[in-house]
Amino acid sequence: MNFPHLFENDLYAILPELYLIVSTLVLLLFGVFYSTSKKHHTPSLMQTISWLGLFCLFCTFCILQNLPFSSMTFFYTTLIMDPLSFFFKTLTLLGAGVSLFISLQYFQAEELKDFEYTLLLLFSTCSMLLLISASDFISMYLAIEMQSLCLYVLAASKRNSEFSTEAGVKYFLLGAFSSGILLFGCSILYGLTGLTGFQSFAQLFSGVGGSLAVETQSFLSVGVLFIAVGFLFKLTAAPFHFWAPDVYEGAPTSVTAFFSITPKLAIMAVFLRLFLVGFYDFLFSWQSILTVSSLLSLFIGSFGAVAQTRVKRLLVYSSIGHMGYLLMGVASGTVEGLQSVLLYLCIYFVMTVNIFAIILSLRDEQTGHNVKYIEDMSMLSKSHPLLAFSLSLTLFSMAGIPPLAGFCSKFYLFFAALSSSLYFLAVFGILSSMLSCFYYLRVIKTMYFDQSKQPFQNVTMDHEKSWVITLTTFFVLFFFLYPNVAFLWTQKVALLFLG
Amino acid sequence: MQSLLSVILLFPALGALVLLCVPSVQTRLIRILGLSISCTTFVLSLLLWVFFDHSTAKFQFVDAIDWLPFLNMHFYIGIDGISLFFILLTTFLVPFCLLVSWDSVQKNVKEYFVAFLLLESFMLAVFCMLDLLLFYVFFESVLLPMFLIIGVWGSRERKIRAAYQFFLYTLIGSLFMLLAILLIYFQTGTTDLQVLFVSEFSLQRQFLLWFAFFASFAVKVPMIPVHIWLPEAHVEAPTSGSVILAGVLLKLGTYGFVRYSIPLFPDASVYFTPLVYTMSIIGIIYASLTTLRQIDLKKIIAYSSVAHMGFVTLGLFSLNIQGIEGALLLMLSHGFVASSLFLCIGVLYDRTHTRLVKYYGGLVHVMPLFSVFFLIFTMGNLSLPGTSSFVGEFLILVGVFQTNPFVATCAATGMILGGAYSIWLYNRVVFGNLKPFFIDAFMDLNRREFFIFLPFVFCVLWMGFYPEIFLEPMHTSVANLVQHGQWRG
Repeated sequence: MNFPHLFENDLYAILPELYLIVSTLVLLLFGVFYSTSKKHHTPSLMQTISWLGLFCLFCTFCILQNLPFSSMTFFYTTLIMDPLSFFFKTLTLLGAGVSLFISLQYFQAEELKDFEYTLLLLFSTCSMLLLISASDFISMYLAIEMQSLCLYVLAASKRNSEFSTEAGVKYFLLGAFSSGILLFGCSILYGLTGLTGFQSFAQLFSGVGGSLAVETQSFLSVGVLFIAVGFLFKLTAAPFHFWAPDVYEGAPTSVTAFFSITPKLAIMAVFLRLFLVGFYDFLFSWQSILTVSSLLSLFIGSFGAVAQTRVKRLLVYSSIGHMGYLLMGVASGTVEGLQSVLLYLCIYFVMTVNIFAIILSLRDEQTGHNVKYIEDMSMLSKSHPLLAFSLSLTLFSMAGIPPLAGFCSKFYLFFAALSSSLYFLAVFGILSSMLSCFYYLRVIKTMYFDQSKQPFQNVTMDHEKSWVITLTTFFVLFFFLYPNVAFLWTQKVALLFLG
Repeated sequence: MQSLLSVILLFPALGALVLLCVPSVQTRLIRILGLSISCTTFVLSLLLWVFFDHSTAKFQFVDAIDWLPFLNMHFYIGIDGISLFFILLTTFLVPFCLLVSWDSVQKNVKEYFVAFLLLESFMLAVFCMLDLLLFYVFFESVLLPMFLIIGVWGSRERKIRAAYQFFLYTLIGSLFMLLAILLIYFQTGTTDLQVLFVSEFSLQRQFLLWFAFFASFAVKVPMIPVHIWLPEAHVEAPTSGSVILAGVLLKLGTYGFVRYSIPLFPDASVYFTPLVYTMSIIGIIYASLTTLRQIDLKKIIAYSSVAHMGFVTLGLFSLNIQGIEGALLLMLSHGFVASSLFLCIGVLYDRTHTRLVKYYGGLVHVMPLFSVFFLIFTMGNLSLPGTSSFVGEFLILVGVFQTNPFVATCAATGMILGGAYSIWLYNRVVFGNLKPFFIDAFMDLNRREFFIFLPFVFCVLWMGFYPEIFLEPMHTSVANLVQHGQWRG
């Protein structure tokens, strides 16, 4: 028996991940040798490696789009390739690419010279790809850990800043803690059933979820609870969100952008796969957990954000609120729910990219100040009308005001919640959407109506960010006119996944 | 002819896009272009009236574009006798809004014109949309440009608070309507209005849905406990903002009642009639009394608008032909009268930059032309026979008297109170001794202002003397609406 026969098509299926990790290693070697070479005066390779990294991501993206398989399991069913994972991988690669792309100027301005930053980002992207494919506790846990390790270091990557180091340490401690909880849940389930594969759980429990003995059922519920808590930690859903504001605030803005855009996608993918496939017959036990968490996230997201004065903290709380909406969709546990989650993620992705591109570009060239407080943005409408306009459009869209893109995602989500009788959650979602309007409006008010002591005068916009901002703003504005593509795509994925 | 309505709908939006491409320093070009776009829209919309078929209650000029075909939602537009005149009112008012701020708006001219043209498109879309969800979308989108108009071009520091109130008040009402719409969609699988007209909801669910819709429309109308945002928004908005707010935006709520609440939930409408009557009566009397003690000119007109809208809701929920037609007519008439009163105040404000009544007096000595126009509109506001409001209020009282004489009697006191505050206002501002505060600022109307007022006078008197021409296209649609309710209830 020779090697190729053993894996048959497996190596093809994992080609994007393989390509990405090999090319990242090559980049690492290149960086290590070239940046220490005295002959070339130990150059800083940040820009070079970043562009090369972008190229690698682009190639990975192309490979992914051209894979000949639409769905298969491989490596002894520890990994799976299906439309859902394809959807999430596409978004993740886009997210990683875009967050690197919009940070290029930030690296120069902030003098982040360590090229390892980009490599860590690439490594974590690769582990996210693996995580999205995971369909087994072991592969899931390994991928989560690999991803988290890269992220801890990234959070602390600005070594001369206390806040950044603090963010890294906090993230590490709480991340390790939540991984422990997750692992504990997995081991309870493994101890009870001897299974680790998601599919096997689905098969074992199909149709018997409610009819098990009480002890077995309660043990299983405890295991599911622990796993859910572990995931909610990673997803920054309330009441396990406490680490998020400090970490997101302390980390360099480019890292915050990456954190907000990408990792949650991957976690969400495996979360959906585990709960909607593996534990589907335990809907009764985890639906209430998610409902409560969703309620709390909505509540804390909107009330927490009202009190914030710093931009990044405000965005963290707003993302906690958005996580509440997403969990609402997951908790409904139907095809519509899944579809609304996917759609919401798509649109939320674009809006986050837009906001972070704008925040990254708000840097006064003369004083070297980055935007930090909300009041720093006062008079932005005078000094930079287009930036202020696109930011306020995106904020309106995040608040779900029609006819912007955010509304399209929200109404479908509420529809899904109503159709699985989560009336209370839907009403609460509506109320918190009203509250969220209040703090988004506050930012808009600051930009348009407030007088300021020192407005931002000299924002130099580079080509990369201006392209990103333009495209995303157009998306937010005109998505409403032709939502068919996104709706059909997400519906196809959702139907193939649950149908 | 088939796509005439779509053309009217898209014309201002496309015009706004064109304006965006003009460099913002060329303010004169922008002004002329914006004005001609809105005037063209008005002329096009007159064609709707010309080609409108009075004999049928069906929706006309129907046009459909796929939006989310697999969710059964389409851009589905059309008009009937009820919505025809709201389209005309909107397209009629927008050119004047642009004209009135010809000189007074000097900053961000381009953005101002773009915002107004977009607002026009959104409002037109609300009036002709035949899909429930898309109706909601446009109903809400009106908030965005209006928020900016109040916040950016408003007059004082307090404008931000007013813009906030306007936005949040109207949003919280509407969000419940969104839930109701989703519930309807969940039950019936469609948001097509014409299908929904013939679908039945259980009584319990009707109550729930009616109330959710009511929450949204009552804030927009506004009815009395939730009217706080209106005086604030009026006072802080620029003149043109007040005109569009009083002229069209308030009608969105009452239009919602007659188009959605009454035909979709006929049983609930009958059941909740006492509630609406009570709120309207309180609205009429309380708002009239409040008007008497206001010192700000715009607040006076704003509160009198609340009182008039109380009449409108009263008429709508009398649920007979006279009442509903009277309400529709009063909405139109209020669109002319309140708008022109706000224009009058705008004229005064442009000269003196104050709106407090105590600085004015004896204007007849320095501004005779203005005083004549102001008199005509004040008489319109107190619904003197011969002006447009009289026909509306008379029909409403006739309609309400048939269902509930007591309520009609109470409402009739509102007419007396209306006379009181209108005449007293006119008395204070125009008669008496000339106050010396701004004596060098008072000039009579210039040519632009004169020609702005002339069409309004024409409309007010025309509707007062020969209302049949407005009522005739309504008859079939309103009869159909009433018949529809009786057949079900």
